[in-house]
Amino acid sequence: MNPQPGLRFTRFTAWLLTRSLLLLAVLITFIPFMWLVAASFKSNEEFFRSTFLPMREGSWAVDWSRLTFDAYKRLFVEVDFGRGLINSIFLSSVTGVLATLCCAMGGYALARFNFKGRGFCTALVLAAVLIPGPLLLAPGYQLLYNLGLLDSFAGLILPAIAPAFGVFLFRQAVLSGVPTDLLEAARIDGAGEWRTFMVVVLPLVRPMIGTFLMITFLGVWNNFIGPQVVLQSPDKFPLSVAVAELKRGYYSDYGLQMAGTVVSILPVMILFLLMQKDFVSGLAAGAVKG
Amino acid sequence: MTRTDAPAKDGFLPAWLSPGAAVIASLGLLACVGLAFAPSTTSEGRVMWTFARPHYLMYESRVEAWNKTQTPKIDLKLISLPAMERRMMSAFLGGVPSADLIEIERRAVSRSFAGPIESVGFYDLTDRLKQEGLLDAINAPSFSPWTSRGRVFGLPHDVHPVMLGYRADLVEAAGIDVSKIETWADFAREFSKLQVDADHNGEPDRFALNMWETHNDHLELLLAQAGGGFFDESNRLTVDSDINAHVLATIVTWIAGPSRIAADAPNFSAAGNRLKADGYVVASFFPDWMGDIWKHEIPSLSGKMKLMPLPAWKKGGPRTSVWGGTMLGIPKTAAATPEQFEELWKFAKELYLSQEFTEILYRQGGIVTPVKKHWSSPLFDEPNAYFSSQPTGRLYINLAPEVPHRNSSPYNTLAMNRVADSLVRLAEEARRDKVYDYASLKERARVLLKKAHAQVADQIERNVFIAEPDAAETVRPLQTGAFAPPRPAKRGGVVERSETGEGSWSPGTQNDQIAAVPSPASPAAKRSSPRQRGEEARGPQSDVKAGGGA
Repeated sequence: MNPQPGLRFTRFTAWLLTRSLLLLAVLITFIPFMWLVAASFKSNEEFFRSTFLPMREGSWAVDWSRLTFDAYKRLFVEVDFGRGLINSIFLSSVTGVLATLCCAMGGYALARFNFKGRGFCTALVLAAVLIPGPLLLAPGYQLLYNLGLLDSFAGLILPAIAPAFGVFLFRQAVLSGVPTDLLEAARIDGAGEWRTFMVVVLPLVRPMIGTFLMITFLGVWNNFIGPQVVLQSPDKFPLSVAVAELKRGYYSDYGLQMAGTVVSILPVMILFLLMQKDFVSGLAAGAVKG
Repeated sequence: MTRTDAPAKDGFLPAWLSPGAAVIASLGLLACVGLAFAPSTTSEGRVMWTFARPHYLMYESRVEAWNKTQTPKIDLKLISLPAMERRMMSAFLGGVPSADLIEIERRAVSRSFAGPIESVGFYDLTDRLKQEGLLDAINAPSFSPWTSRGRVFGLPHDVHPVMLGYRADLVEAAGIDVSKIETWADFAREFSKLQVDADHNGEPDRFALNMWETHNDHLELLLAQAGGGFFDESNRLTVDSDINAHVLATIVTWIAGPSRIAADAPNFSAAGNRLKADGYVVASFFPDWMGDIWKHEIPSLSGKMKLMPLPAWKKGGPRTSVWGGTMLGIPKTAAATPEQFEELWKFAKELYLSQEFTEILYRQGGIVTPVKKHWSSPLFDEPNAYFSSQPTGRLYINLAPEVPHRNSSPYNTLAMNRVADSLVRLAEEARRDKVYDYASLKERARVLLKKAHAQVADQIERNVFIAEPDAAETVRPLQTGAFAPPRPAKRGGVVERSETGEGSWSPGTQNDQIAAVPSPASPAAKRSSPRQRGEEARGPQSDVKAGGGA
């Protein structure tokens, strides 16, 4: 039965209002991004002359001749930003994969293995979550120096492959998603511990793997202080540091900085669009009873 | 699907690997291949850090020339100031090497002065500077930001006197004679004539001065010019001084109320540059380095600007102040032997004190050298096209000896922030209550500064090393005395620390003399235990003659 015309009108108005508000929110969110992209195509002088795209006098048409690819060209030719891109991808993906694997193993062990000191280990992991990162900067620097890992990728990757947050996250995921009966059945069928972990546990925590991988990837991609302190050779800098290094001293090349920022956020934006299903399913895991 | 069901396989991928995770893993593999074939650079020689691109560009040719004829080779590296500060402090606190020479800015270095004087990460250069006559050869105020408890830890790079830059085209068109302006009151009276409300919106379209309650640098330089500030020469906290209250109250009369003459055109920002180019503010504070920045960022004002000395707070008072500052220091971990120290020291002097560098510094950065003998160079009399052909170098040099001394306390930034908070609060209250008379503002400023003073004092009291100003240490700035700074020793390229964590020679001593034990009167000796002193004397180089600093 069709609803009454009045009700239909009310529903349409509500639909229209909701969409309009969402569209407005999207526009507001996009304004800084559009400004950033527009600024990356401007010279320093043009940067001060127009807020968004440069317009021709007396009309609303864009003056395309005042836009330039110069900043992007300089970014990859003069500044060697491509190297920063490779470094960022390497650091983020390797740390992400290793951290996911280590945290999954650690979380599984804490959740399903009975060993002496398990409670203490869990408490230790929880306590480690509470320690603020900046507090560990100086002792971490000293430790890395003593291990000979300063100015190396290993100095950044190794301390990040077993974050307490991740171990605890996977512990909770295993507790709620991997029944003990299933593990026992696998063992009875002759599976070793490694096989049980790879074939039974990991598939059951797959949503968490996607989510945690994405969180770690983004975290390492955006990490600024760690690489800034540990890495000292410019050819090892990831994008987060390389972008900051574009602003040195007292004056700025705004076009170059904006182009650098665009290049540094595009890969993660694409990756997030690719992985958003995994990301959301991981976040929602446990929210609804299966 | 129940929660115990395994997810279905995605094509050829294992059940636990989602397509997104596979993409990330593949990216990692590709990046590994990319990095395997990418060329890598290796550092050669001694490493020097600098934080400003203009400095880096100035030093490139000098370092290249040095590396061709001298040893050790210097590897100049440009890193951002926050990165430098973090690495430097991490290395100092961890007792591990950082760079061999560190060029660092005033506020960043002050953090390294927070502990006991003998634990500062840089070599104490006081005695060496004295011996070589550099304390007299270099403009005295330039040492103050690197002087902690009477000891100097860096070679000064600059003087950075401050003048007032103004839009000469506007000022001269209005018939204002700046030579008649002596005080800030004169300035406010004369320059306020330029504040016109052309669009009749009830607010001027142009303001006399670029100043706002959030401009901490401007606040600090005005306090210093007035003779106020945060600490006195004996390191006593002076946040709640009468001078500071006077400056704060006056600033609020500039930025709020019926006699407002100032507006906000932030420095180092696109928006601020645009306001300056549009003539929204007529006058701005100009340290010597600022001219070069305006040339790059606001080229449209070339030939329209002029400089004048800062108006004084009272007739006959100082007509300048100071903004910024850089030093070159040698970390203790950089040189384990006197020879290594000498090599670095020689390069530091060659870089900062030569006539060639004076020219580069001024031509490329507009910066005036602190070396007084170079001030007579005709270089500084050359007309500057950006500033309507004024000889800007000479104008700054004329003011250089008047530059106020500054304190190097690690609590300077905290104190400045608290005073800045007081200024913001004072301005807010004035606007809210519409109370703009100077007397009421000053009274209120006193109350706010008293509170700020208590907050800073509370923080300082927690630091046992510098909580109490020690007259013996602080009232004799730059005097020499026996002193043995602690430092790690380097053996076979590996930095080691003695049991006490201390080394055994002083750069202040010549002919490889060793200042093995602090003088009984020195602060280091007062604090170290007999056991520590004994171990210092038996340090890695205790076979060399022991003696106090010269």
